[in-house]
Amino acid sequence: MAVLEVADLASGYGEVQILWGVNLTLEKGKLTTLVGSNGVGKTTLLRTVMGLLRAIQGTVTFAGQDVTHLAPHARANLGLVLVPEGRQLFTEMTVYENLEMGAFSKRAQAHVQDNLEKVFTLFPRLKERRSQKAGTLSGGEQQMVAVGRGLMAEPELLILDELSLGLSPLLALNLFESLLTLKKSGLTMLLVEQNVQMALAVSDYGYVLAEGKVQLQGEARSLLNNEEVQRTYLGI
Amino acid sequence: MQLLSSLIDGILIGFVYGVAAVGLTLIWGVMSVINLSHGPVMALGMFSTYLLFANLGVNPYLALIGVAVFGLVLGLVIYTVAVHRVISAPHLSSLLATFAVNMIIIGIGTAVFSTSPHNIDFSLGSISLGPIILPATRLLAAVAAILFTALLYIFLYFTRPGKAIRAVANNRTAAELMGIPSAQVLALSFGIGTALACVAGGLIATFFPFTILSGGPYELKSFVICVLGGLGNPLGALLGGLLLGGLEGLIPTVMPVSWVPVLEFGLFILVLLVKPSGLLGAKS
Ligand SMILES: Nc1ncnc2c1ncn2[C@@H]1O[C@H](COP(=O)(O)OP(=O)(O)OP(=O)(O)O)[C@@H](O)[C@H]1O
Ligand SMILES: [Mg+2]
Repeated sequence: MAVLEVADLASGYGEVQILWGVNLTLEKGKLTTLVGSNGVGKTTLLRTVMGLLRAIQGTVTFAGQDVTHLAPHARANLGLVLVPEGRQLFTEMTVYENLEMGAFSKRAQAHVQDNLEKVFTLFPRLKERRSQKAGTLSGGEQQMVAVGRGLMAEPELLILDELSLGLSPLLALNLFESLLTLKKSGLTMLLVEQNVQMALAVSDYGYVLAEGKVQLQGEARSLLNNEEVQRTYLGI
Repeated sequence: MQLLSSLIDGILIGFVYGVAAVGLTLIWGVMSVINLSHGPVMALGMFSTYLLFANLGVNPYLALIGVAVFGLVLGLVIYTVAVHRVISAPHLSSLLATFAVNMIIIGIGTAVFSTSPHNIDFSLGSISLGPIILPATRLLAAVAAILFTALLYIFLYFTRPGKAIRAVANNRTAAELMGIPSAQVLALSFGIGTALACVAGGLIATFFPFTILSGGPYELKSFVICVLGGLGNPLGALLGGLLLGGLEGLIPTVMPVSWVPVLEFGLFILVLLVKPSGLLGAKS
């Protein structure tokens, strides 16, 4: 069953249209990666899927429901959750409060304790830092809060935009391992990554975005072996 | 002794200034709106306290609860009608929108109450602390001001909707992404800011006569205080209120009272020039 279905989606900023009819389907329990050069519109697509940007054309269907015209908070209430590019933490609030705010929606309220335990098991570091202001954490710790906050929202689909940006290779590797743990627990995820190699290596499926559309899609393994992908995104 | 007594008197009134400024700074901190309807809203707080007292015989301090509820509802209405649609527009739009609300309230208020002064005829005598004699209404006003500020803090730091307000103030987009209905949270914040203005107005009405125009000077003081305390910082606003109140108490003991605004606004400009983030450890 498709968790998210994006059909013929177009959007942009004012006069500038960035996306020209994107089609994308995410299967339940699968880890999918979206690849594309800088500035091609990956973040724009995610912002439109979340409702932060208005769709000029096309539809977004989430868990069988047309959400194209819902406000972002209403989509979050359905379990459509984005860990945004640049983290966007509540910097003036503590780590614990950030996690609490992640669980603001009604669907998440019932699972606060379970999810908190899950997050602290995944990132023991956050438990130590729970009373610290999020804005004063290191970059890697902040990224953990961003992911943790997303998990607190009891996601049906977790979208991660530039998870590993600015992190050391080791820390990035750790975060990718966390993703695999989450995948084992059955979570559906969509990944946007600069680190295409690593992202495709852990993914089931992949999409390549270029010139405002999906130009290529397929099993992650086959994309890794695709000559054009190798030349353009992997520098091989 | 005269000096000390003036200082204490000023500081007690300063608590009330503080409450008004906390309301103004809350609205600024959460949604970056400079609320020019703050003064008339304070005047409505004065009149609603007056009406409850004069018509129904309600004790003015008890009346504050009703006044706060009235202010909350009034704020929700003002936000929904006048502010929400311009919330993402440049600051000038919301400034003008709240200015329009300001003019409307003053117009209606003048029609209903005229501009002749009203007065809450309520006295609790005075309390003497050694050689210092203070009107009891000032002391009670300070107590009420502390109470309302404390309630606000408890609300913002220990309740779900309160934390949602801080989250929206901190990062509105992220709050939406986490399922927080930011439009409702903004309306609530505006309501609380307005309620605090009404309460401050009600307290002022227990010691000075007032008209529908009386909120104006207090609105200006609130701006000075907010800048002293750092715009968007409620605790700074309360402390700024005490500072301004204390100055207002002291200045007339050493020079003519007409110098008060000169020094106040001189200080305002000085702070803007030298430490625009506020004197009292404001957030950046
Ligand atoms: N707020 C905005 N207003 C106008 N144009 C924007 C805005 N945000 C992004 N753009 C433009 O839209 C295009 C797509 O940006 P987007 O952020 O979606 O790219 P991206 O694929 O996520 O890139 P990256 O890999 O660098 O994160 C870019 O050309 C960018 O300059
Ligand atoms: Mg991006």
